[in-house]
Amino acid sequence: MPPTITPYTINVPDSALKSLKAKLESTNLPDVVDFIDDWSYGAPLSDIKRLTDHWADGFDWRTQEASINERLPQFTTKVEVEGFGDLDMHFVHQRSEVKGAIPLLFVHGWPGSFLEVEKLLPLLTKPADGGPAFHVVAPSLPNFAFSEGPSKPGFGLKQYAESMHKTMLALEYDQYVTQGGDWGFKVTRAVGHFYPKHCLASHINLVLAKKPAVSAVQEASAYTDGEKAGLARTDWFAQEGFGYNLLQSTKPSAIGFALADSPVALLAWIYEKLHDWSDDYPWTDDELLAWVCMYQFARAGPAASARIYYEVQHPKNEAKHAFATGYIPDVKLGVSIFPRDIYVPPVAWARSLGPVVFGGMHAEGGHFAAHEKPELLAGDLRKMFGKDGGASEIAQRFAV
Amino acid sequence: MAPPYTIAVPDSKIDELHKKLDVATFPDELDEADWDYGAPLADIKRLTAYWKSSFSWRDQEKTLNQLPQFTRSIKVDNFPALDIHYVHQPSPSPDAIPLLFCHGWPGSYLEVVKMLPALQQSHSGVSFHVVAPSHPNYGWSEGPKQRGFGLKQYAETCHKLMLSLGYDQYVTQGGDWGFYITRAIGLLYPEACKASHINMIRASPPTLLKNPWQAVKHKLLPYSAREKKGLERSEWFATEGSGYRTLQATKPATIGFALNDSPVALLAWLWEKLHDWTDAYPWTDDEILTWVSIYCFSRAGPSASLRIYYEATHSGPGGVTRDRTQEWIGGVKLGLCYSPRELTVVPMTWGRTLGPVVFESVKTRGGHFAAHEQPEEIVKDLRGMFGKGGPCHGIVKAGAKL
Repeated sequence: MPPTITPYTINVPDSALKSLKAKLESTNLPDVVDFIDDWSYGAPLSDIKRLTDHWADGFDWRTQEASINERLPQFTTKVEVEGFGDLDMHFVHQRSEVKGAIPLLFVHGWPGSFLEVEKLLPLLTKPADGGPAFHVVAPSLPNFAFSEGPSKPGFGLKQYAESMHKTMLALEYDQYVTQGGDWGFKVTRAVGHFYPKHCLASHINLVLAKKPAVSAVQEASAYTDGEKAGLARTDWFAQEGFGYNLLQSTKPSAIGFALADSPVALLAWIYEKLHDWSDDYPWTDDELLAWVCMYQFARAGPAASARIYYEVQHPKNEAKHAFATGYIPDVKLGVSIFPRDIYVPPVAWARSLGPVVFGGMHAEGGHFAAHEKPELLAGDLRKMFGKDGGASEIAQRFAV
Repeated sequence: MAPPYTIAVPDSKIDELHKKLDVATFPDELDEADWDYGAPLADIKRLTAYWKSSFSWRDQEKTLNQLPQFTRSIKVDNFPALDIHYVHQPSPSPDAIPLLFCHGWPGSYLEVVKMLPALQQSHSGVSFHVVAPSHPNYGWSEGPKQRGFGLKQYAETCHKLMLSLGYDQYVTQGGDWGFYITRAIGLLYPEACKASHINMIRASPPTLLKNPWQAVKHKLLPYSAREKKGLERSEWFATEGSGYRTLQATKPATIGFALNDSPVALLAWLWEKLHDWTDAYPWTDDEILTWVSIYCFSRAGPSASLRIYYEATHSGPGGVTRDRTQEWIGGVKLGLCYSPRELTVVPMTWGRTLGPVVFESVKTRGGHFAAHEQPEEIVKDLRGMFGKGGPCHGIVKAGAKL
């Protein structure tokens, strides 16, 4: 019997909105000191105060909710993940009317969500110029937004990959390509690793490629200014920006209690990244709060989102997750590097990840590429799968 | 003469705490999670319920107010003066020497309390005038409003406090930030701080260049079984237990919002450490909640207590880096205490790279909060180090006070 695809409408219960407002109105903020608004120390007090006040008393969730429901066609389907039972998967699905469109699995990361796909949808499903078109599927990862989460430990990359792959199968996309950054990088790599006959090509925008062994002399002369800046940005992330990652990878409950009990804690936790990891993107307050609400109102609760870090760091159900940053031979690979991402290697390093058929380095844009620079990212996908692109042969397989 | 200090948390703060505990929202928990992911849900729920309905801050406050505690204004260079809280228990014995006790995170001056009666008594020809401050940003001390208040300033605060009490020469005891601060004191004020006892030993392997004799021993002799276990413990701390530290050293303000706004967040954040860092210490709920309440009701607020991590890691020119405190400091005699469940348990050849080590003790039990978990052992060490026949007997002049 074919799986049931059920249309989904976000409808946060009134009780959740009420308790959120009550908590926001009794927020206890830290005392003012001279450096309280200095980004080096973390989220500034003035911003958090402004956003907290707006969230309590200005931001209209019901309007946002209706708007998201209108703009993004959403569905759910139950998929079985071996050892974990059935999980109800939430996803955006928009088909293209162009014949031969390529099914594309778009996987978000943290602290993002399915919302990140929105600006790409018209560019990918309704290309203006006869270039490749895509049917786009953008699930919420288990434990995120409106997907269920697992109730036992051990849900690692294999399980995340399985949940994504089975969602595609439920939509009768037996073969497809993928796009992802942040956790979308590791999860789509896992999809390619475990399902190479189904996942034919992958495009990534967080390129966690290790440094190849080169001599110091070769190294010193080889990097362009852009590459040097990227490596400096990568160093900054490792030195100053990695704390959330180490914490969530070792003690997810420590932050989990905070995220579950305090909306301001959640706001600060996410807002700091939306600022630090993007390239001067002009976030509006409503935009920021809508992103935070994806965690505040998540089906599995805000604390669950930290668990992916722990599980991938402590693999239980199979050997290490080393394949994710190793060479995956059967999946054609496209990489796009944005200068204000959190790990910015020289494009050439990507060769260690797989057969690279497209490589682009941009002059602007950050970690949330699909949201910050949708035209650039969509442009890269269309080049990669276009008739002169490195994955054109893959695109042909979907031609009618 | 400094006025005695009375802790008097306003009713409004206690009410606010209770209101928040009343509407506490808990996450779910994975089956069989136990302590792997952090503090267990059952513990946090139980402690929250107890904190809300049974724990009496006023009762604890009354007990805390029985300690001999004071505040005075201490000014360090380039910063405005701060009102510093401290416990001061002098001894009437003529063989008493001044002892500065430095707490760490997530501890407080309370960590000295169990040792107070013994330290005041003459034994082995020594007793102690005990001074245990709340560091700036902790407990009942004010916190600085300017950036850059790092190890140098924490050390200077302690030193000036000792001088203001008439102790121009003294010895120190500390672990956690107490390790770093007392080491900085020894570095900056060797004419005053003549000897230090430390229970968290952060040191690197000896090198032929810097510590030739230890390096040779290190190369030739295998680690003992105890030292190997210690390295495993240290490895656990570095890989599984250091998330909080990296976060606090880079983005203290971000996590600070959580600790300030949610008492449950603060409880979970701290209780996990009290559990993981001790050696099966039988914490009572009252004890846990008193420790957590000191952060909750602290003068500078819980988020301020994290700043030392950031400032010590981003030390500018003229500051004292943590790295420097983990290298040889020549002018201060050292006593090292090795407990099996401390966070960093290094081989003894490594410990001897820190300075002239004149006293070593190896405990068979105990963890990070040594003075609180095994006060009799630390007292024994201090008497062994400073008492008659000990390597530091008479190192600072003794005299009765009171």
